[in-house]
Amino acid sequence: MTALFEARGVTKRFGGLTALHAVDFALDEGIASIIGPNGAGKTTLFNVFTGLYQADEGSVTFREQPLLGLRPDQITALGICRTFQNIRLFANMTALENVLVGMHARVGLGLWDVLTHRPRFHATEGALMARASALLERVGLLRQANEVARSLPYGDQRRLEIGRALASEPALLLLDEPTAGMTRGEAGALMRLLRALVADLRLAVILIEHNMRVVMEVSDRVTVLDHGEKIAEGPPQEVQANPRVIEAYLGTRHSGGPRRRLAER
Amino acid sequence: MDFQLLVDIFPQVLLDGLILGFMYALIALGYTMVYGVLEFINFAHSEIFIVGAFAGVEILLGLKGAGWLDGLPWPLVLLLLLLAGMAVSGLLAVTVERIAYRPLRSAPRLIPLISAIGVSFFLQDLIRLVESIWRNAFNLVYPTLDALNLRFELTETIDVSVKSIVVIVAALGMLWVLHLLVNRTKIGTAIRAVAEDQAAASLMGIDVNRIISLTFFIGGVMGGAAGVLFGVQYGLINPYSGFIPGLKAFTAAVLGGIGNIPGAMLGGIVLGLLEAFAASYLSLLTGGAFGAEYKDIFAFSVLILILIFRPKGLLGEIVRERA
Amino acid sequence: MIRATLAVGVVALSTWAVAVFPRSILVFLLFQGSLLWVYLARIPRWLRATLLAAALLVLMPLIGSFNGYYLEVATQVGIFVALALGLNIVVGLAGLLDLGYVAFFAVGAYSWAIFGSPQANQIFGGGFPLAPGWFYVFLGVGLCVGAATGVLLGLPVLRLRGDYLAIVTLGFGEVIRVLANNLDKPINFTNGPKGITPIARPPVPFGLPYSEAFYFLVLLIVCVVVLVNRRLEDSHIGRAWEAIREDELAAQAMGVPLVRSKLLAFACGASFAGVMGVVFSAKQIFINPESFTFLESIGVLAMVILGGMGSIPGAVVGATVVTVLNLQVLKGFSLWLNELKNAGVTVFGMSLADLPTQLEPAKYERMIFGMILVLMMIFRPQGILPARRRARELGKP
Repeated sequence: MTALFEARGVTKRFGGLTALHAVDFALDEGIASIIGPNGAGKTTLFNVFTGLYQADEGSVTFREQPLLGLRPDQITALGICRTFQNIRLFANMTALENVLVGMHARVGLGLWDVLTHRPRFHATEGALMARASALLERVGLLRQANEVARSLPYGDQRRLEIGRALASEPALLLLDEPTAGMTRGEAGALMRLLRALVADLRLAVILIEHNMRVVMEVSDRVTVLDHGEKIAEGPPQEVQANPRVIEAYLGTRHSGGPRRRLAER
Repeated sequence: MDFQLLVDIFPQVLLDGLILGFMYALIALGYTMVYGVLEFINFAHSEIFIVGAFAGVEILLGLKGAGWLDGLPWPLVLLLLLLAGMAVSGLLAVTVERIAYRPLRSAPRLIPLISAIGVSFFLQDLIRLVESIWRNAFNLVYPTLDALNLRFELTETIDVSVKSIVVIVAALGMLWVLHLLVNRTKIGTAIRAVAEDQAAASLMGIDVNRIISLTFFIGGVMGGAAGVLFGVQYGLINPYSGFIPGLKAFTAAVLGGIGNIPGAMLGGIVLGLLEAFAASYLSLLTGGAFGAEYKDIFAFSVLILILIFRPKGLLGEIVRERA
Repeated sequence: MIRATLAVGVVALSTWAVAVFPRSILVFLLFQGSLLWVYLARIPRWLRATLLAAALLVLMPLIGSFNGYYLEVATQVGIFVALALGLNIVVGLAGLLDLGYVAFFAVGAYSWAIFGSPQANQIFGGGFPLAPGWFYVFLGVGLCVGAATGVLLGLPVLRLRGDYLAIVTLGFGEVIRVLANNLDKPINFTNGPKGITPIARPPVPFGLPYSEAFYFLVLLIVCVVVLVNRRLEDSHIGRAWEAIREDELAAQAMGVPLVRSKLLAFACGASFAGVMGVVFSAKQIFINPESFTFLESIGVLAMVILGGMGSIPGAVVGATVVTVLNLQVLKGFSLWLNELKNAGVTVFGMSLADLPTQLEPAKYERMIFGMILVLMMIFRPQGILPARRRARELGKP
């Protein structure tokens, strides 16, 4: 029996640069964190997982179904959704509408239903609304439901992005630096929310995070990437003590030199 | 089908194609330079081009009216025309950028494009308005310079007029100067720096606004020169006759790889040749069923095909990673 | 209560004005403006509906029965309202800049023009024109042909970047025009630049005059188009379009299939244009390629931009203002100038009779469109009636 989500030997090159080199990754449940210095290939890995990039080699499976070659929207429909490192909300749409768009893959209506406003349409739209408000409440944004995303404070935008991703009813949620730019208190609250979500929705989460306190607190398992390669994996405490990880973070091999930057978006 | 005929007209068609191609290349530079720096299609460039043609014809008609046209040596007249066309188009390009594009620089991409379409339409009718008031005519004919119309017979079937040579030489000269300017001078370095990364360039002490203005100016100057050459070569101009050549020059820029200066030259020449051959051979090859009237479709088809199958163009596009 | 009385008063006053002044474009604008005001005013829903219905269904046709001029203008405005609403889906909602929109209009127009006139005999030998009743079938045909053309064009080009898409659609529009101009040989499909005439007009119920019949037909289609637009906008389809407009990549990551959604936008917009094309060809009796130039595409774009991208009332207002400006104000100015010239009026010591003859103000549509586009982009990119975000009541889950 294979894991819920499994990646084997994922390699991605940009021109002459190998951004990911034969990365293996598997997750069945709980929260797995991916850490590593800037440019280690973390976001690139997410982009491969969600179909934004095509891997050059390797395989990715979700519920034993191969993902490579699928479009991002198909992968979302299968039950994987993500947030972005630099928030990418639909800026001129309301919080509610953002969440509703997240449900797109789960709407079973056709053009004809929409044009004729058949009873099905009203029933479905009603259900969408109810679910959207439940989600907004969950991420603490119900009162801001009708506010335009662009005008929300930064922390709210981060939480809205998570709410939007949850709207697609994922079994696996990928979060790209969800606490970036947050205060300690905000980050703590967000992680409590995440823990609750994992418990209530039986959600598996992959987390890219720079904030080590958050990582150590919340993760069941930690994977360390450096220069596109996996250099360590295991329970947080174990990884923390790993000499290779310490070396990568303190940068003894590359002292003084600027880290090469990859196309991280 | 007369095979011999196909062979006989080949050199002439080749020459026509080259002339057209150099014209497209000159215009395409305006599109490509602006795109390289701002990732923005300067839709109004077709009018900036044709304004050059109008500046030229005004000088010519002025000289003719004063009775000086026959007295002056023709290279001097030509130089005068080129300078006038280049100056007017260059200044117009800078003005347009200042008024209609600069306020929109941080807006979503389609906003300045729509503004540019508006400028294009506005300028067409503005030229018409000015010329209607000034000359009571907006379809203008370039007065002929006898020396330019001399033709040499190279062989029995090919002849070359002086003006064809002038067009090619002038275009080559302009392209060469541009090449030097972009690759060998400080200004060129600054332009390339701004194209690469505006924020970083400005941190390095480059006045980004000035460089962008300059880019528009250079593109306009090239367009203006092309306008004058267009007038000299084809004779008849009106305020709307810049539009289609502009569109084709844009096609040429995309064909060569947008943002890429040698690409624009290559794309222009390839498109000019394709078009000339399509115009002459389509009718012969289909027994008259499809004639030269389809040459515009031909150019657009090239555009669509290139965008679908090789969107980065023949030589690859050179634009910033992210706007 | 005061507002309600005021609304009734405004409509009554403007109707009176239209009835009294035979040919005044200002009065027509006043009439349109009063309807807009009623639409936007905070009055009870039933009153708003009654007033609008009365004005459009009863008053306008009544006026038209003794003054065809206003009815003609209203019909033309209606045609452009439908076109603007179609383009609004593509440009306003989905954020795809389509510069060749008029091509779909042309395809619809030619589909009825060819079969509703003897032109089809050139292709099939004989048996044409079709009976006028087929017109109503062709409304459906126009819809399908428009949508099919939209999909056909969309399939290859919708993966392109936004600005490239604009240029390619422009090229496509030109291709359609050049084809219309030149497909008179080897087989005569379109009769080339000479155009096609006479195109059959549909049979009309109740012995209505054609002008009234077309008015009602256009009004009906506009109503359907508005309804369709609103339903699409308030559905997962419309939300997906807006998401694509805001951030294509994020939309896709949230499960929106990009190509399918964009194709749907293209097809919807194109189908409205296709239907209106059929109506247009029957109304005009004659069409030629000159009616389907790039200028027309930009005209429709100017309507959408002026009104406000993504805004349904905006598209209606934009279409009205631009059509009226274009058709009437420029022409009116031209006529007025000519009258002054003939009367030998002098301004600042210069006789107007000395004005250049080539100066024909009626011909400056491009300047108007151009100014609309530039000024709106710089000063009010959201348009005069911006799309409003609908606030929604959320019950406690």
